[in-house]
Amino acid sequence: MSAGPRSERDFAAVLEQVRPEAERLIAQYPVKRSALLPILHAFQNVEGWVSPEALATTARMLDEPLSIVESTATFYTLFFRKPIGRYLLQPCRGIACIIDGAEETMRHFRESLGVAHLETTSDGVFSYEEVECLAACDRAPCMQVNLEFVYNLTPEKIDMMLAEMRAGRFSVRPIPQNTLPGKTWHVEHAPSARSSGAQNVVDADSPGGIGDRSGAEMLKRLVNGPRLLPSDERALRDGKTLLEELERGSS
Amino acid sequence: MPDQKTVSLTIDGVVVTVPDGTLLVEAAKRIQRDIPVYCYHEKLGPAGLCRICLVEIEKMSKLQIACNTLVTEGMVVRTLSDRALDGRRAVLEFLLANHPLDCPICDKGGECDLQDYAVAYGSGSSRLVEPKGRKPKAIDLGPTIVLDDERCIVCQRCSRFDDLITREQSLVVKERGERDVIATATDAPYVSNFSGNVTELCPVGALTSKTYRFKSRPWDLQRTATTCTQCSVGCALNVDVRHEAILRTMSDPEDPVSDGWLCDRGRYNIAYLDDERRLTSPLLRDGENWTQIGWDDAITLWAKVLRTHPPSAHGVIGGGRLLNEEAYLLSFVFRALGTRNIDWRTGRQFETTAGSFEGTLADLERAQLILVLGVPPSQTAPILDLRIRKAVGRFGARLISVGPLAAGSFVPQTRVRSVTEIPPAAFDVRRIAVVYDGISRDLLAEANAMLRPLQAHGTQIFGFVAGEQANARGAEVLGLLPRDGGLDTRGIFSAAVGGGVISTLACFGADPLLRHPDRILVERALQSFDFTVVSELFLTPTAQRAHLVLPARSAFEKTGSTTNLAGTLREVRAATAAPVGTLSDGEMLVALAAALGIEIPSDPEISRRVREMIGVPLRGGEELSFSGRAPTPREGFELVVAEHPFAGGGTSLHDARVSILRPHPQVGIAPASAQAAGVADGDIVDLTSGDRFLRDLRVRVDEDVAEGLVVVTAGLPQAPANALPATGRVLLKNIRSVREVVASGGVR
Amino acid sequence: MVLEKVLTAGIGEVDLCDIAVYRSRGGYVQWRRAVTELTPAAVVVAALKSGLRGRGGAGFPTGRKWEFLPEDGRPRYLVCNCDEAEPGTFKDHELLEMTPHQVLEGMLIGAYAIRSHHAFIYIRGEFKRGYEIFMRALEEARELGFVGQRLFGTDYSLEVTVHRGAGAYICGEETALLNSLEGKRGEPRLKPPFPAVRGLYGQPTVVNNVETLGYLPHILERGAEWFASVGTPKSTGYKVLSVSGHVQRPGNYEIPLGLPMRTIIDEIAGGLRPGRKFMAVQPGGGSSACLFEEHLDLGYDYESLAAAGTMLGSGAMVVFDDTTDFVKAAHSLVRFFAHESCGQCTPCREGGHWLEMTLERILHGEGLASDIDMLLALSAQMTGINLCPLGDSIEPFLASVLKRFEPQFRAYLRKPQVAFAR
Repeated sequence: MSAGPRSERDFAAVLEQVRPEAERLIAQYPVKRSALLPILHAFQNVEGWVSPEALATTARMLDEPLSIVESTATFYTLFFRKPIGRYLLQPCRGIACIIDGAEETMRHFRESLGVAHLETTSDGVFSYEEVECLAACDRAPCMQVNLEFVYNLTPEKIDMMLAEMRAGRFSVRPIPQNTLPGKTWHVEHAPSARSSGAQNVVDADSPGGIGDRSGAEMLKRLVNGPRLLPSDERALRDGKTLLEELERGSS
Repeated sequence: MPDQKTVSLTIDGVVVTVPDGTLLVEAAKRIQRDIPVYCYHEKLGPAGLCRICLVEIEKMSKLQIACNTLVTEGMVVRTLSDRALDGRRAVLEFLLANHPLDCPICDKGGECDLQDYAVAYGSGSSRLVEPKGRKPKAIDLGPTIVLDDERCIVCQRCSRFDDLITREQSLVVKERGERDVIATATDAPYVSNFSGNVTELCPVGALTSKTYRFKSRPWDLQRTATTCTQCSVGCALNVDVRHEAILRTMSDPEDPVSDGWLCDRGRYNIAYLDDERRLTSPLLRDGENWTQIGWDDAITLWAKVLRTHPPSAHGVIGGGRLLNEEAYLLSFVFRALGTRNIDWRTGRQFETTAGSFEGTLADLERAQLILVLGVPPSQTAPILDLRIRKAVGRFGARLISVGPLAAGSFVPQTRVRSVTEIPPAAFDVRRIAVVYDGISRDLLAEANAMLRPLQAHGTQIFGFVAGEQANARGAEVLGLLPRDGGLDTRGIFSAAVGGGVISTLACFGADPLLRHPDRILVERALQSFDFTVVSELFLTPTAQRAHLVLPARSAFEKTGSTTNLAGTLREVRAATAAPVGTLSDGEMLVALAAALGIEIPSDPEISRRVREMIGVPLRGGEELSFSGRAPTPREGFELVVAEHPFAGGGTSLHDARVSILRPHPQVGIAPASAQAAGVADGDIVDLTSGDRFLRDLRVRVDEDVAEGLVVVTAGLPQAPANALPATGRVLLKNIRSVREVVASGGVR
Repeated sequence: MVLEKVLTAGIGEVDLCDIAVYRSRGGYVQWRRAVTELTPAAVVVAALKSGLRGRGGAGFPTGRKWEFLPEDGRPRYLVCNCDEAEPGTFKDHELLEMTPHQVLEGMLIGAYAIRSHHAFIYIRGEFKRGYEIFMRALEEARELGFVGQRLFGTDYSLEVTVHRGAGAYICGEETALLNSLEGKRGEPRLKPPFPAVRGLYGQPTVVNNVETLGYLPHILERGAEWFASVGTPKSTGYKVLSVSGHVQRPGNYEIPLGLPMRTIIDEIAGGLRPGRKFMAVQPGGGSSACLFEEHLDLGYDYESLAAAGTMLGSGAMVVFDDTTDFVKAAHSLVRFFAHESCGQCTPCREGGHWLEMTLERILHGEGLASDIDMLLALSAQMTGINLCPLGDSIEPFLASVLKRFEPQFRAYLRKPQVAFAR
């Protein structure tokens, strides 16, 4: 299930917590925009993910357009654009881990949690992501739990760890969760203004609407219109076929 | 510079000498050896992303990109060696790997760089076994543009244009690696006055104009080079026509006036030509109805009216829409008749020069200080606005907007209400540009007082008027002014209402009922004239009250010239045939002259005189009498009327394809003022001043508006700003939230 | 074999995160000495004489890199690159967490050498613990007056800012790192201009690796001649080498450069597991080509490895024994580079993804006979034509193991269909 919108008051509390830190961060750079990543980290520390409100607030704090903040944030894999589980399990799939048994431990994770790469368990407790080399190759296979390292993984070690997490006894601080996570936090493609440009278009068939059929209308005019030049004969022939197809398609 | 250092190098065996600092890709153009590019663009500079411009350079082990390689003395370059071609083929194979190859249904087909280079340098087949990557298609990016992410090769020309040229930064790259896409901020449409340019910059079919989607193939289009007449900048325009219909307009990359760009109004507001409401026959009033009459009857009737009234009883207004030659004829014919009541100043703009200051658009770009006086040019002359952004953003000029509205230019600026507030140190530069709205005379006087002494001491001062009317400058130079004791526009209307001294009106390319600062006066005058003749494309508000309406031709349908805000003569050429039944304003005047027995000069002679008159410097700050201004009352908010490129009662109102871009009636107000007045963003209010009012405006709380004033949009027929006193103060009344309005069954 | 420890001295024995412990072993003495007794130019000379080369991967002489800064009065920045993410490399990670003060002292001395008043350290986003440890170390150093205004009573001031990344290998490339530090997408910049001329905020900037900077206090303490006397003439000094894979004692080992690889694998890292046979070693991180049995007597130094067609890179040795599935290993590395491509350059963006998909298909038993040649051709044709080195990083390993262990790849290919009976 996916999360509903939070009330404005919820975010005001988040902002109150983050603002002093954000001001300190901005002050330590000669140019404001440098604080972009650190401020997003600060929001994620409090909220568990980088919410749209956090992105918009960061943009305001830095005097940058939201587009710039989103463009930057979407470059980095450690900013979660949707809520994630209480425990983010990130086994390493780097070359040293792969040749040292990571395939087996990763399979074990997937089977015991019932999730795939980039998925969250339905109870919202675990998020699972296979990540690139974590720079702990001497203790392979390794992983991070909420960015804290766990080394020399074995299926038994994984079982014990998951049990402790389920019982709330695991030593790593759980990720804050103000919104229940969905099946995945992965965003396949950044949602751009898919429809906002068309908001003013009442009729989907009108020119400029997303269902712009002006091309089809043009063809219709060409086929049915009075002004027909000899050179249009071929266009007419193709046009009729195309028009029929279009009409079949739309009915 | 005469002693600029040059460098000689050899490209494909040909020795070429170019200035030091030239990029290899540009040097190659000198010998017609075009190196393929996608991400590189002359105006955007090198980005080094697409890697298609690989060339072999002697003494360098790897292939180099020509777009970011500076030429050096003795460099030996091979653009077509086996290695270079191998590199190019490799890049093309990668580019096409995930490209949908949907050329048969792609608008770019036939003028697509990916298609062209794939044919020229590609391998003809792909080794890709895997299914191609899927990305979103036909994304409705905003009111004007559709994006196809699958066709996109992420050359970033569009996002770099929106960063480096417009400085708006609303188009960006999101995600990373092979998942990266061009996008806007979440839920934010791509809205810009310059959006159409990205479709020209896009080397593939990823960004297309909604108005041109699925309309034509480039090889079926006939191109005419002309000038855009939508505003006073006068950008070069390439008009593409198929079957006598204008399907699209394109910029001219070499045009020094537009710098190679077009604004969206100039680009997209073209479909009005084919609107079914277009007038195609002279209309004679018959009580409440119109009767279609023939041209002979119409001209005869008009000539008869002109002869039966004394010359001093005729009023002639208009000219901003006319071509130079037509403005000359209008003045010539009526002056021959003895009429002196002739004025182009039908709206709020009453000047076409900023005092004695003149300049070219290239001068503006080089200015170190730019003063924007009055209503900023961002809406009246968008391409001029783009030049200001370039001067500030790229060349580091300082921008100061003086007056009620911020220049809204996406570049740093200082805002003041008076020239006297500007710190004197700001003027300590060598080149200053003044951009004036042609309305705010007090501000110009302040600027003059400050700048004239500087000019005497050698500071270069450039002046520009970005006014409401496209060819105002041509109209003024060619004689549409009441110079010799005639009445100006307000005088004509007042005289009609008062003693009936003026009894006929000829209105050419003007809509005073919508545009003149005093709508009530115009309304009363139009009821008083014995005879009003209006030349128009559509039945505009003024035309609706005329006795005789003459169906005119648009600037796309006639040939001549226009004068831009820098005083440059620009050629206008007919790109398409006009509807049967219409005449150009010039043709009407020729017919009228014949009916009146007035002998007019030949066409070449008119053309010669026009060129001569346009070439003479303007009147140089001569004080013109103008009765259009009224004293300012003290209470309430000061009223400011701002332009919008898609407002107006003419072309954009009659173009269904740009209807989405038309502004809604609204009132802009600064945050603190909004609070003081008790209104919030989105509320619906009425504006009142005495017994005059403007109803049902949506409140827009806007930081670009100065405190203590309100801004309304000019030229909206459903909410004509000129219904309120020209420079009066207004009160916000009848404040309702949207919810209340909906509950009470909508606006009145 | 007993090795002298320099950077790694004390690790695992004492708590070097405690500034008192670090100082008791001579910590910050060289920093004080540099500021109060040495000119910046003297530090540059020491670096030049020591022959110290960049330990991040490119191996460029550190002193020469500093000398590239133009003398034009603009502010200069030193940036310490701690965005370690090269597959197989884990030395900076350990140095950061175990000896944060040594990293800081190296940064301070490096900044002083280039007369910078603001130094930055860019820490990989995943190193959350390391970031916290370094922040604490910085506070301790600040409290003792080692960082800040008017240091040790002189006019010299130096501020240090710690910046944490957010998950992007490419930010290890120095211009991408600078973009990321400026709050932008971590995309490498077009060069020229180089960071020495237009770096952070458009100002002259030097980016140095953690390990490189870490050696500076020791070079000042023991003299450039001491450092230059270790190793080979062109590859001087020590190197922290990350050894992983199929050895008995994987870990970080500090070695004098030039040590034979056989010694490193067999003696230092404990050799292979009993009964296993050596197949290959990737000697310089994920971007380097594999070496095989016949290369093991080569010395581990920049020149010898380059001569053998590979590189020392970041100093990460991954050892492969006969249990290795090289198709899976290649897939892991190709997937890594595809995942980490910033997407700017066409060959890297498209080529990496294409190769990853092809290898995935092969692993799923759907490989075609023509795929072997195609893997070689595609990886070769995407190499050498990109804006930054990432796109050139796929070919070395893939081509080296594909040529050497082609039968392993062939074994995965789709079995021919049964032909129609005649």
